[in-house]
Amino acid sequence: MMPVNKLAWMVVANTLRSRRHFILSAFGIVIGIATFVVFLASTEQVGTVLEKIFPLEQVSVVAPRASLAGMDVSKKLDDTIVKTILARPEVKSAVPRMTLSFPAAGRGDFEGNDLKFEVGGFADGIDPDVVDDDVRTKELFRDWDADPSDTKHHVACEYTPPGKDGDIIQSPRSRPKNYKPPEPKPLVPGGPPVEAEPENFNTCPDSDRYYCDDSDRMCHHRVPIVMSPTMIELYNGQFAKSHGLPIADQDFVKFVTQRGGLNAMRFSIGLGSTTVAGSNTNIKHKPRRIEGMLVGISNKAMPIGMTMPIGYVQRWNREFQGDEAASTYSSIIVTLRDKQSIAVFSQWLQDKLDLRLDDSLGEKFATVLFVIRLVLVLISLVIIGISAINIAHNFFMQVTERRRELGLLRAVGATQQDVRLVVLGEAGLIGLIGGVMGVLFGLLLAQTVDYASNHYLPRFPYKPATWFHFSWWIWVGGLVCSTGFAVIGGYLPARRASKMEPAQALTQN
Amino acid sequence: MVTKDSTGPVVRLRDVAKAYGTGAAKAHVLRGVSFDIEKGELIALVGQSGSGKSTLLNVIGGLDKPDSGEVEVFGVDTQKANDAQLAHLRNDKMGFVFQAFNLLDHLDVLRNVTLPAAFQKDNRETEGRGREALRKVGLSDFAHRRPGELSGGQKQRVAIARALFGSPELLLCDEPTGSLDSDTGREVIEFLRELNAKDGVTLLIVTHERRISSVAKRVIAMRDGLIVETTDEALASEHVAGPA
Repeated sequence: MMPVNKLAWMVVANTLRSRRHFILSAFGIVIGIATFVVFLASTEQVGTVLEKIFPLEQVSVVAPRASLAGMDVSKKLDDTIVKTILARPEVKSAVPRMTLSFPAAGRGDFEGNDLKFEVGGFADGIDPDVVDDDVRTKELFRDWDADPSDTKHHVACEYTPPGKDGDIIQSPRSRPKNYKPPEPKPLVPGGPPVEAEPENFNTCPDSDRYYCDDSDRMCHHRVPIVMSPTMIELYNGQFAKSHGLPIADQDFVKFVTQRGGLNAMRFSIGLGSTTVAGSNTNIKHKPRRIEGMLVGISNKAMPIGMTMPIGYVQRWNREFQGDEAASTYSSIIVTLRDKQSIAVFSQWLQDKLDLRLDDSLGEKFATVLFVIRLVLVLISLVIIGISAINIAHNFFMQVTERRRELGLLRAVGATQQDVRLVVLGEAGLIGLIGGVMGVLFGLLLAQTVDYASNHYLPRFPYKPATWFHFSWWIWVGGLVCSTGFAVIGGYLPARRASKMEPAQALTQN
Repeated sequence: MVTKDSTGPVVRLRDVAKAYGTGAAKAHVLRGVSFDIEKGELIALVGQSGSGKSTLLNVIGGLDKPDSGEVEVFGVDTQKANDAQLAHLRNDKMGFVFQAFNLLDHLDVLRNVTLPAAFQKDNRETEGRGREALRKVGLSDFAHRRPGELSGGQKQRVAIARALFGSPELLLCDEPTGSLDSDTGREVIEFLRELNAKDGVTLLIVTHERRISSVAKRVIAMRDGLIVETTDEALASEHVAGPA
């Protein structure tokens, strides 16, 4: 076999001599590889967004709903079940969730807007240790009321009276320096001046994070709340637009800084209160107000609603619904060691515990995405395959046109293998250059689509900043594919070239 | 390599036969050709078109295979040698000069001359040897010209330089003056004669050219695939065929 460096030189010299042949051969490869990388990068990005919405490595264990004479007789998810699940070899972790099982309503001020919203049914609790999305969230997302060491802030404070008709009041602000009560003003022009309602203030130290609890008149840390990215997307995509509110940044720290710190993220929660007319849930305690604050965005939060440390939910459920509600979990989030073991685990759940996995939209989307990706990759492979046939056709013509040259190579010392390698090398080089051009073309195409998307496509939930994620394996795969297909296309012409009788090749025109 | 006797003739042919086609269309191009070529000979192989001269040249050069008979070149039995052995023989011991020059238009003159080096493992002095070959044919100043910029005579001299690049012991020339005018052809003939006389290169020249026959030490005449006569240089001119 001829030396590799000399083979490379000859291949490059032969390839560069004919632009027409190069363009004819490489055109299909460029288009094929461009579609290949663009399709793969777009489905990769869709997959990334999907995993953000539905963490695929986690499954949710729930008890099938069952009722008897109107009574809920569903199987109870408790600590025993959690321990049994944790003992399974395929299970990496099992974290219980507990929903707030009684009515609750929220009220907060956001950008000067008085927002009222339902919390009961849209709130749950989770082990704070699993919420570790960033340092700030990890630090703040704790069960502060279960921490006896925080004596500095656990001090007496001024009682805040409830609103008129028992309405939940806004979370009071801290008293500004040099505060002066408003002057009496007439209610109607020309009428007698009337004194304004005295304003309530938060008198707790470190009022950014602490509030005065109405029940024990002591300062407590506001209940830390996390929300899911889905909520932010829903807010940005629909709510903010329809209510004329500012867009929330996914970078929570940046968002909080812009809004004026954690204090701006505070709100009241009326435990036992509701915004739903006709609600008839029996509660064991009279409604009371606590305060919460949004401390971060987390994938561990419930998709629609708010999530807090499970200790709070357990205590409130006990307070308002009794011990049964405080020891029954709504679901158990199970992380498997291997996604492949999901079928075995699901079967075991049904057979041994009479439980089931919650319908996972993520899994369904992942399957659909897999099929779409398969179809798109097949389409691009077909294009590349056709371009390989095109290369074969062009090289057959080339071999015929260049038979004298190939015969000459044999006459000056080339073996059949050398001739085969020269032709295959030319095909491979065309594939490689075509692949590089295809990848660059694909990148340009992706940037054009992103530009159009960012400038002309309206915002919607989970709209990504880019529609493409070019992993390294996509680049490498594109180049390997282009070179491989080109070499396959060049194989038969190369074989014909090597089998050519040199004497005939040299004498025929 | 399948070698027998390296001290024997450069080329040894015995009952070499070759036919093309099948059935009624079968054409017997060589019908049992036998002769030897000794080292240092300058042989003119003459005969009319279709007499089998070029086929015989290709068989000797290992570019074509005979149907039967024995062909030994530098002691190598070309019938038994494999492709790599034949390629090495062509690269190392032989040079070819063709009527149509067969230069590669996309390479400059020097690259054309050094083309055989692409199939040699030895990288030393490639350019130097190429320039030396060009100097021998009087084209030192044309190293970086393209073949398209050269006259017919210059092209043939480049082709000869390429054949001489590997310092071959046997030069096989197929109608080397066939595409040249008479003056240029004369120059080429003179160059080949000097090559034989001064450097001792063995030459087998297929030709219609009367002047080549006149400078040849031996003339082998062919007709219908057979050697009809072999003469020494005194009688050579009488056996030269007419124009092609």
